[in-house]
Amino acid sequence: MSRWRYFFRRLLLSIPVVLFGLTITFVIVRMGPIDPVAAIIGPEGGAANRARIEQRLGLNEPLWRQYIDFIVGMLTLNLGQSWVIQPSTSVGELLTTYAPRTLWLGFWSVLIAIFVGVPLGFYAGLNPNTGGDYLASFGGIVWRAMPNFWLAIIFLAVLRQSEKFFFGIDWNTIGVTVPGLIGQPPLNFIAVTDWVSLGALSIPIGFYFSPITLAASIKQILPPAVVLGSAAMGNEMRIGRTAVLETINSNYVETAKAKGLRSRAIVWKHVFRNALVPLVPIITNEAFILIGGSVIVEVIFGINGIGYLFYQASIQGDLPLVGSLMFVFIILIVSVNIIQDFLYTILDPRVGYE
Amino acid sequence: MSMNEFDDTTLRDRIAANPRPALLWLVGAFVLIALELGRIADGVLRLGGAIGLMVDMVVTIPSSVRGAVASSFGAGAGIAAFVITAFILLGIVAIVVKWLFIPWSLVDRLGIDVSTGREDILERLLVTGLLVIVAAALVWTPVGGLFEMLISVLTRGVEAVGSLTTITSREVIPNQGYQLPDGSWEGTFLGLSPAWAWALRVLVVYAYALTWLAWLWKGYEIFREHYREADWTPRDDSINRLRTHYWGVFGFVVVFMFVVMALWAPAVSPVTAEANLYSPYGNEIQYYGDDGVQSITHGDANMNSRSQGGDENVGLMSYDDYDRFHPFGTNTDGKDLFTFLAYGAQVSLVIGLLATVLMAVVATVLALITAYYKGVADLLAIIASDSVIALPRLLLVLLLSVLFMQANHPIAEIYDGGLLLALIFAGTGWPLLWRSVRGPALQVSEQEWIDAAKSYGQSPAATMRKHMSPYIAGYMLIYASLSLGGVIIGVAALSYLGFGVQAPTPEWGRAVFEGKSYVSTSSWHVATLPGLLVVFLVTGFNALGDGIRDAIDPQSDSGDGSAAAATGGGG
Repeated sequence: MSRWRYFFRRLLLSIPVVLFGLTITFVIVRMGPIDPVAAIIGPEGGAANRARIEQRLGLNEPLWRQYIDFIVGMLTLNLGQSWVIQPSTSVGELLTTYAPRTLWLGFWSVLIAIFVGVPLGFYAGLNPNTGGDYLASFGGIVWRAMPNFWLAIIFLAVLRQSEKFFFGIDWNTIGVTVPGLIGQPPLNFIAVTDWVSLGALSIPIGFYFSPITLAASIKQILPPAVVLGSAAMGNEMRIGRTAVLETINSNYVETAKAKGLRSRAIVWKHVFRNALVPLVPIITNEAFILIGGSVIVEVIFGINGIGYLFYQASIQGDLPLVGSLMFVFIILIVSVNIIQDFLYTILDPRVGYE
Repeated sequence: MSMNEFDDTTLRDRIAANPRPALLWLVGAFVLIALELGRIADGVLRLGGAIGLMVDMVVTIPSSVRGAVASSFGAGAGIAAFVITAFILLGIVAIVVKWLFIPWSLVDRLGIDVSTGREDILERLLVTGLLVIVAAALVWTPVGGLFEMLISVLTRGVEAVGSLTTITSREVIPNQGYQLPDGSWEGTFLGLSPAWAWALRVLVVYAYALTWLAWLWKGYEIFREHYREADWTPRDDSINRLRTHYWGVFGFVVVFMFVVMALWAPAVSPVTAEANLYSPYGNEIQYYGDDGVQSITHGDANMNSRSQGGDENVGLMSYDDYDRFHPFGTNTDGKDLFTFLAYGAQVSLVIGLLATVLMAVVATVLALITAYYKGVADLLAIIASDSVIALPRLLLVLLLSVLFMQANHPIAEIYDGGLLLALIFAGTGWPLLWRSVRGPALQVSEQEWIDAAKSYGQSPAATMRKHMSPYIAGYMLIYASLSLGGVIIGVAALSYLGFGVQAPTPEWGRAVFEGKSYVSTSSWHVATLPGLLVVFLVTGFNALGDGIRDAIDPQSDSGDGSAAAATGGGG
């Protein structure tokens, strides 16, 4: 099977995956142990109220009809609205409010994990069985084993008393001042001030940018991002080390050495590029960890992101919102999988030949 | 020791020919059992109770299905659904019964001549039929009453044994007493201070467990030397590699310590669970106060031993005002933290093991089937597993446990939500395990011996069981031990959010939640220690997994994507 046929097969496979994932969501939300209407109107809702909401949600129809309506509604991006958390707000609106914070958090946690984990792993792999290697490897394993919720609490406690632990450096005031450890990062550091319209198109021409707000925003997001990326950082380090070790012992590196290539050129040209391949699934797999782990981190650090929204929707019984959010997550993860396959197809010619 | 490669004697024959070493080992084992008979009987009783509860639940499935179907499709369809569900359940039981208890073939005995493929199905149908008769007899005839009587007599017998004192019981080495003004201790073991008495009891527990470990190893050596047919098997090399793999040994030691702590939670905890967790106001202790020896309930005493920062703190390795010793200090409500953590270890272990075993069974069976049949079966499994993976695991687990708990579903009551959590984690975790063993299973299925078995007319089930499953069992062990850590972290995270195991059943995540506001005060231990234990334990499981992998497959690279996926994703 050629590489691209393999890729298109995977692409085709994602259609039934999305459908089946939606089916599971439907079963949980509509046929699960909780009646969605009862959860929305509470124990003292009147019968008329109940009938009205049933009508609106289409719950008075037969189950197969509901199922088809649900699937079609989701696939045509008709995501419905929230019923309990912010009644009558459309899910799209909620997403535009909540998603940027989670994206900001996810962006930094991926970035930090990659820029700390991969170099450490490569260092350990280039200097195997030295003290530095042992320290990095063991540290990575322990770091990965730390539960996020616990790490978050310890981070908060240590940073609250940062003068005591870091020789009098106060976290809140060093660099830019942030209001507190808990709370959301300010995302208004960039904005469009002027638009110019070219026919139907509007093109932004005026920008507002505040480096201080940006710095405050980054500082605010750093602790939760490090916590969220902790498991991924450990994984990247581990896999990076193994990958470098494997490439160093491979024949073409041997050949390059025999050819008399300088070791710097060998490392940069032959080792690093090939060692990056096995890291692709690890980095893309982070998407799963980030979406799942964002709940805990956002709840503890008080960030009003999607994870927090999902958590609130679940515990308050906003089941229509839960279903729509689940659909968004499914689409996200499936697209990340497709990107991963795409990267693999480009990077690794061996894929598909097995 | 046999030199004949084609020796067909069974293990039983070989033991009968040279019974001395086996008997010696058995005598030792019996002595060890006798020392802890009471506790073992207790464990058997709890296990039996759990199994009974599960049987009760499974029995109600057909009627609940009938109710659900009858409400939308009418009574006739309901009865049909009832019969079909009951038959499917009995069919599943039949496979297990056949596998465990009926080593010979019923079809052969009855002299029915069919082709091999049919034989398997017919065999299962026969066993199912027998089970239907047994079930009918239990439900509709007096045999059921007789059976119940038998069970209750047995239970009472085991209960009587369970009340026996053992070497690790609290009565033998009591650690609760009070200090007289002259400094001597009253009520503790040999007048030692409670700290030393407790340490001694913990020491005895670990010494006993280590003895068992050594004795089991001895038993394996005896088997290897006297009773095994082959002088050498590849497994010997694996075990030798594991023994010299220090990282793996470290993992094994950590896991062993944890398991012993969980199994002997009643013995290693300074206070009984009853007095500490469940009814602190129903149990009294004696202490020496202003008016001589007085008594106070644990609950009242706890009011003065709370750890809430500042002066109100009972830290590590310290006594409270009532001469109770707290190795890990006290909780925010004054209860002993070590007791909480020891019983919490039990809860984590039970949930983790249950979830992992369920996952592993599903993943193994699925891997065997997909590797054997390939094609459509493989494709369907890929779609199903990818769909489950596409739902973020922690969110799915959170949603499901919230839904079941708010609906007060009966399943959420068992073990204070523990069973529900195990089922949810198993239901969301099997795709990761299946993905990890799919590759090895496919490789095995390409081997010549599988072709040979097929052309020989061996039934697919037998081929999978005999010729494929041994090769993926090792991989399963690795990934299962890795995912166990993930489940433990996940359960703790959920309990932290308030949707895992409910009070009063202890769970490590809840201790972290209770102590989270005191991390930067003098009561830092409440949240920090449980977290450190989780880190330690998960590191241990990972190390053990690494060790097993290097032992089974020394050529394998240490670490790949699937292993990471199996552990990650937790909270």
